[in-house]
Amino acid sequence: MMDVINNFLIPFLDLKLLSLVALGTFAGIYIGAIPGLSVTMAVSILISFTFSWDVLPAISLMIGIYMGGVYGGSRTAILLNIPGAPSAIATALDGFPMAQRGEAGEAIGITTVMSFFGGLVGIIVLAAAAPSVSAFAIRFQPRDYMLLAVLGILLVGSLSGDSLVKGVFAGAMGLMIGSIGLDPLTMDQRFTFGSTAMMGGISFIAVMIGMFGVSEALIQLHSMKTPGVKQVINRIVPSFGTIRKYLPLSLQSSAIGVIIGALPGTGGDIAALMAYDHAKRVTKNPEVPFGKGAREGLVAPETANNAAVGGAFIPMMTLGIPGDSVTAIMIGALFIHGLHPGPMLMVEQPHMFWFIVGCLTLANVFMLIFGLTGIKIFVKVVEMPRTVLIPLILLLSIVGAYAVNNSLTDVYWMLGFGVLGYFMRLYGYSLGPVILGVILSRLLDDNWRRAIISDQESLPRLMHGIVTSPLSLTLFLAVIFIFVSKTPLWAMIKRGRA
Amino acid sequence: MIRKLLGATLALGLTTLPALAEYPEKEIQGIIQWGAGGSTDTVMRAVTPHAEKALGGTIVMQNVTGGVGAIALNQVANGDADGYQILFGAENPLLYKVMALGDKDYSDFTPINILARGIPILVARPDAPFNTYPEMIAYINAHPKDVKFGSTGPGGLPSVVTAMINQKTPIDVTFVPYDGDGPALTALQGGAIDVMPAVLGAAVEGIKGGTMKTIALFDTEASSALPDAPTIVSTNPEFGDLLPWGPFFGVFVKKGTPDDIVAKLTAAYAEGAKAEDFLALMDGRGFKMMNISGDEAQAFLAKWQSTTAWLVQDAGLTKASPADFGIPKP
Repeated sequence: MMDVINNFLIPFLDLKLLSLVALGTFAGIYIGAIPGLSVTMAVSILISFTFSWDVLPAISLMIGIYMGGVYGGSRTAILLNIPGAPSAIATALDGFPMAQRGEAGEAIGITTVMSFFGGLVGIIVLAAAAPSVSAFAIRFQPRDYMLLAVLGILLVGSLSGDSLVKGVFAGAMGLMIGSIGLDPLTMDQRFTFGSTAMMGGISFIAVMIGMFGVSEALIQLHSMKTPGVKQVINRIVPSFGTIRKYLPLSLQSSAIGVIIGALPGTGGDIAALMAYDHAKRVTKNPEVPFGKGAREGLVAPETANNAAVGGAFIPMMTLGIPGDSVTAIMIGALFIHGLHPGPMLMVEQPHMFWFIVGCLTLANVFMLIFGLTGIKIFVKVVEMPRTVLIPLILLLSIVGAYAVNNSLTDVYWMLGFGVLGYFMRLYGYSLGPVILGVILSRLLDDNWRRAIISDQESLPRLMHGIVTSPLSLTLFLAVIFIFVSKTPLWAMIKRGRA
Repeated sequence: MIRKLLGATLALGLTTLPALAEYPEKEIQGIIQWGAGGSTDTVMRAVTPHAEKALGGTIVMQNVTGGVGAIALNQVANGDADGYQILFGAENPLLYKVMALGDKDYSDFTPINILARGIPILVARPDAPFNTYPEMIAYINAHPKDVKFGSTGPGGLPSVVTAMINQKTPIDVTFVPYDGDGPALTALQGGAIDVMPAVLGAAVEGIKGGTMKTIALFDTEASSALPDAPTIVSTNPEFGDLLPWGPFFGVFVKKGTPDDIVAKLTAAYAEGAKAEDFLALMDGRGFKMMNISGDEAQAFLAKWQSTTAWLVQDAGLTKASPADFGIPKP
C-alpha cells in the first residue's frame, strides 16, 4: 500500500515531473483548441522528441497533453462554433448558442468544472476497477460493435434539429463519405475513381473543419453589420448548487464515457455524442431548450469525453491493448523506453500503473486551474468585429486542414465541404449528423461484415448469437427501444396507458 | 563573343558549384509510409538519429499515410533523385502491382538498407481446443469452417502465412478480416477469432501474459524473444522451402540518385543500425536484424517479391498475375 501511495505521488513531489505535466496540460489545451492539431499528432511528435529522455518525464508530458487536449477542443466549439476536436462536436451544439447570448464565460466555466469531474471519475474507475472493466470491454464481439454503431446512428434523432428527414439525409451522406477510399478489409478501392489521392479516403478532420469552420465563416458574412456579442462575465465558476443539480447527469455521462473509452474500437468522440443524446433523453424540462444553449447539453458531452481518457487507459494498462489512437501511440512510447506493455505490465511493473494514475490526476487538476484562468481574455474572441473574426476562422481552418496530413488535398476537401456545409445550413440541414455518419461509417461497415462473416454469412446464426449473448441482447433491445420510442407507435402506447 | 562565353562559363560554373558541395548540404526529408506509433514508424525513428550522426546531416521525418503506403511511395518517386528525399517503407509496395494498388514498386528505388524483418507466428486464443500445428490441422479437418482465422486483407502477413499453409495442406476455415494485427489480436483475446497469424513482436507480450498461446513460429530457427515457441519446421519440415520469410523495414532513395550519395547514406544507415539501443529495441520487439544493402538488398527484394507474389497469386488473392510484370516464379 505504501508503494502504491509513493508511486502515485511521484509526479506531485518531483518538481521536474510536476512542471512537465503542467506544461503538457497547458500546451494540450491550446493544441486541442486548434482544429486540425490533434492530441494524437502532438503525442506522436513527442515520441521522437522524447526518445532520449527517461521514461517518467516522457510519460508525464504526454499525459498532460492528452488530458489538456481532450478538454481544449471545447474552447473553439463554444467561442467559434468550430469544434477543436471530434470529441467536442456535441459541445458546440449548446455551447455556441450560449456564447451568442453573451454567456461564453459561464459556458467555459461549466465545461471546465465538468471536464474535471469527468476526468476524475475516469481516473477513479481506472485505479479501482481496471482489470474487471477491461475484462468486460474485451468481451465485445464484432456483432456488439455493430449494434453499438446502430445505436450511434440512432443519435441522428437528437442531432438533426428541426427536421428529422433532413437529419437522416445528412447522416446518410456522412456514412457515404466515410466509405470512400481503400476498403481496409479487402483492399478494394471504393469511390476512388482510380485516383491515388483518393485511396487514403477523405480525411474526417478535413470534413469536420470545413463543415463547421468554413461554413461558420460564410454564415457570418450574412451579418457583417451586426457587432460582436457583448459578453457578461459575472460568474465563471459554477456555484455549488449548479454542480449538485447536474450531479446525477454528470455521473451517468461519466459512466458512458468510461465504458465507451475503454472499448478498444471506440473513443471520446462517440462517448460525447452518446452522452449528449442521453442528456436529451433524461432531461425532462431544461431551462433552455437543447440546441439553443441548454446547460445539460454542455455537461453531458464534456464529462463523457474526459471520463473516456481514464477509460482508454484501462485496456492499455491491463492488457497492452490501446483504448484509442492516443493510447496506441503511448504503447509505442513505452516499448521504446524498454517497458513491455501487455498483460504482464501490471504484474511486473505495478509502479508504472500508479505513476500513470498519479500523472492523470495531476493533469486533471492543472486542467481545472488553466481552464478557469484567462477566460476573460478568451471570451473577447466572440466580441471581436466580424472583419477580424471571419479571416481568422478561415486561416485557422486552412492551417488546421493542412496540418492533419501535411497535404494540400485535405485543404481542398475542407474548402469544398465548407461550401457544401454553408448551403446545407442555409437550407436547414444540421451538420452534426454528417460528422456522426463519418465517425460511425467504418465502425458499422467493418463490424457488420466481420459479424456476418464470423457466422458463416448466415443471418439466422447471427440472430441466434445475438439473442444468446446477454451483452448483445441488451444492446439489441436498446436499439429496438430507442427506435420504437421515436415512432408514433410509442406515443400511442403511452397515451393508451394514461 | 569572348565576353559572352566567359559569362556562360561563369554561369555554368556557378550553377554546378552547389552539386560539388558536400552532401548533405541541407535538410533531408524522410517520408515514412505508415502512421505515427506503428512499427515502421517506431523502427525508423529509432534508427535515424544514429544514422544522422554518422551522416553529419539532419533528416526531418514525416508520416505520409494512406493507400497502403502508395501515397508516400509515389511522393518520393515523383520527386528529384538528388538524395534529399528518403523513403522509409515496409514490404507492401512489392505487391502493389499484383494487387492493382499502383504501377510503381521498389524497382523504381535504390535500397539504402534493409534493416530488419519480422517473424511470423501463429497464435491462438488460450482455450482453443488445440496446442500444436498438427493438432490444429486435425481439428480444422474434423470441423470444417468452424475455426475462425483473423486476416488483414489480401497481401498482408496473415494472407501470406495462410497461403503458405494452404499450399502445404488446404484448410477450410472462416476468415474474419481486421484492419491490422493489433485489432485482430484484441479480438483473439476476446474470443471473436480463434487463430491469428501475426508478427512475433505484436504477440510476444500476450503470450507471456497468457492471453494467447503459440501454435507455431513460422521461421527456421527459434527466436531469442520466445525461446520455447516451437518452429513450424520442427513439426512440418515441408515449410522449409518457403522460409525464412517475413515483413521487412527498408530505407530507399529514388533510382538514379548519384552513386556517391547512395554510398554515403548506405554507410550512415549501416552504422546507425549497429547502435546499442536500436539493437535492444529491435530485439525487444521480436524483429530479426538484417542490416543489408547494395546487391545483397537487391537480391533479397527480388526473392521476397517472387516468393510472395506467387504465393498470393496461387491463393487466388491477386488482381493481376505476377507474370504480367515479369516477376519470375520461384
